[in-house]
Parts: sequence; C-alpha cells; structure tokens
Amino acid sequence: MTDDELDQRVRASILAEELDTAPLERSIRAHMGRRSMPRWAVAVAVGIALVAAVGLAYREFISPPTPPVCAAAAHDHNHEVANGLPREWLSDVSAIQSLAAQQGIPAEAIIALNATGYRLNRGRLCFLKNQIFLHLVYTRNDEVISVYLRRRDPDLRFGPSIHQASVDTEELAYFQTDQLTAVFVDEQSKTEALAFARASLHSLMVAAL
Amino acid sequence: MPHLAALLRVARRLAAEPTSAEDLVQETMLLAWRGFHGFEPGSNARAWLFRILFNAFYGEGRRAQRAQGWRAQRAEAHSPASTAVDAKFQEAVEIAEALQALPIEQRGVLLLCVVEGFTCQEAAGILNVPIGTVMSRLSRARQELRTRLAPLTKEAYR
Repeated sequence: MTDDELDQRVRASILAEELDTAPLERSIRAHMGRRSMPRWAVAVAVGIALVAAVGLAYREFISPPTPPVCAAAAHDHNHEVANGLPREWLSDVSAIQSLAAQQGIPAEAIIALNATGYRLNRGRLCFLKNQIFLHLVYTRNDEVISVYLRRRDPDLRFGPSIHQASVDTEELAYFQTDQLTAVFVDEQSKTEALAFARASLHSLMVAAL
Repeated sequence: MPHLAALLRVARRLAAEPTSAEDLVQETMLLAWRGFHGFEPGSNARAWLFRILFNAFYGEGRRAQRAQGWRAQRAEAHSPASTAVDAKFQEAVEIAEALQALPIEQRGVLLLCVVEGFTCQEAAGILNVPIGTVMSRLSRARQELRTRLAPLTKEAYR
C-alpha cells in the first residue's frame, strides 16, 4: 500500500464521519455573548478579594485598629508627661473635680479612680482630635499613668471590655462605660496600664458610671 | 461558524472522550475570539485556529488522559460479534482504532497533513516544531498505520 493509498483510505474514513456541530456552535455563541472576564483576571480578582477579606477579618477580629483619639492620647502623654513640657496643671482635687463637672464628668468618677490605689497627682483639659478630654495624671511609687476622660462618645466603637494597644513607646488601655470614655496611657508597662484600667473600670461600674 | 467541523474532527481524535473534545473546540473558539487582535490579516485563519487548538490541548494537560477510555468504548461497541457490519464499516472502525493507537505526536501530524490537508510546513507552524520533525513523525505514523492495517487489508480484499 503506497503512502497515497494509505492517506486516501484514512482521509476517506475520517471525512465520512457525520458531525453535528449545531449544539456546539450554540454553546460557543452563548459563551461569547457573556463577555466573561479572562481567567487570569478572574484569578487576580479572587486573589485580591481573599487578601482583602483576610486583612479585614484580621483588623476587625484579631487586631482591631487603635481609635485615632486613643493614639492621640498616647502622643499627648508622651509630650505632656514623659517629656514634661511646661503646662498649667491643677493639683487641687476639688478644683479638678470642678473642671471635670464643667465637662459633664461626674465628680464621683474622680473619687472612683482614687479607689484604685493610685494617687491623683494633677489634671488639666486637653484636646485630642478636636475633642476636649480631662487629662488626669495618677502616680503610684514610680509609676506615672495618664487617664483621659470625657463623656461617652457614641461614635467610638468600643464598649466596656478593656482594649489594649501600643503606640510608639506608649502602652494603652481603653474602654467606655455607659457614661464615660476612658483612655489609660503608661509609657513603661503594658501590665500597669491594664491593671489600672481594670481597677478603674471596676470602680466606675461600682459607682454606676 | 467556519472550520468548526474540522476542529471538532481533529479534537475528537486528540481528546479522551467526545465531551472533552467539544470542550477543547469551544475553548479554542473562545480563545480565538478573545485573541482575534493577534491574528494577522491575510494569513491562514484555518492554520491559526488549529494552532490555538493544539496549544489548548497541550496546555490543558490533556495529553495524559488521551484516548484510552474512548478507544476501549469504541472497540467494544463495534466488535464484530455485536452487530452485523459490512466490510466498509468494519474498516472505518479499524482505521479509527489504529489511529488512536498512534502516539499523540504522530497522530496530530497525521491528522493535520493527511486528513486536513495541511502541508508539512504549515503543520510545523501549527505544532511549533521543526519541519523535519513533522516529516519524520508523519513517516513513522504512516508506517505504523500500514502495519496495523495490513491484516485488515488482506481480509477486506480477499
């Protein structure tokens, strides 16, 4: 059998096959009509969505972002307390309570914080992110902790559970009761800030603040 | 849709089963549609489509799952004991099986050059191999087919 004879037999056999291409053509035209994204674009989009979802989940549930006002408290503590910039402070407790009352902070709150074992050293008003806070400085032995108080801010998304964060060299603890927003800053010890925050939260709860 | 039947004809002899052959042709046409800007006007559109078909076939790893299952089914369906078949139909089955028994590289060349009428030069372009490779594959494919079909030839023309 020559090459030509063989080719002719093979060709004739295969070309004799009847093929119905109509269903396939309909399917192809339907796919063309969808104008689907290229596979690589789909893969990239899915990848980006996954990374974003993991990132958001991490931020929301594992490492919630530090509220800007709390980060501002850390910077304020660093400037005003750690670096000791000259400022006018009130040291008289009754004067501080009066200052607090002007900001809608009950005097009982100051008393409650004194029950934590720390001693109120001084206080003044300050601005954190354009909001007025009562900045109190408490001491115990060598520990110096700043407490920033104001009436509860409904825009802040944290509640009565104590949150922790680190901003630069400052350690933060913060919470909100029904009436107050409280931010605690210690430049030395996360443990100390947390302990003071716990004691304060307990005292404020007892005082129904 | 031009060349669809030719593409399907070849795909059915490359892919493991008819449905994956249709998938392969569908993928080929969609790739061609999306990449039509890559087609050079005046060049051979049919060869361009077949190049896409073979690239898709090899790209999807279909080589590994080629024809074994389909070939077995076809052989069973057309066994001489199952139906009374005439000699011509029997020859078609034997040719199909002999073709499926070829290594995929030889089968591709044979389909392109013998069935679809491409020159060796065009087949080399489609398969992205040197023309010498195409010619040697074609030669070996013909030799293999000739060996496999020889007993049939003697019986059919006795």
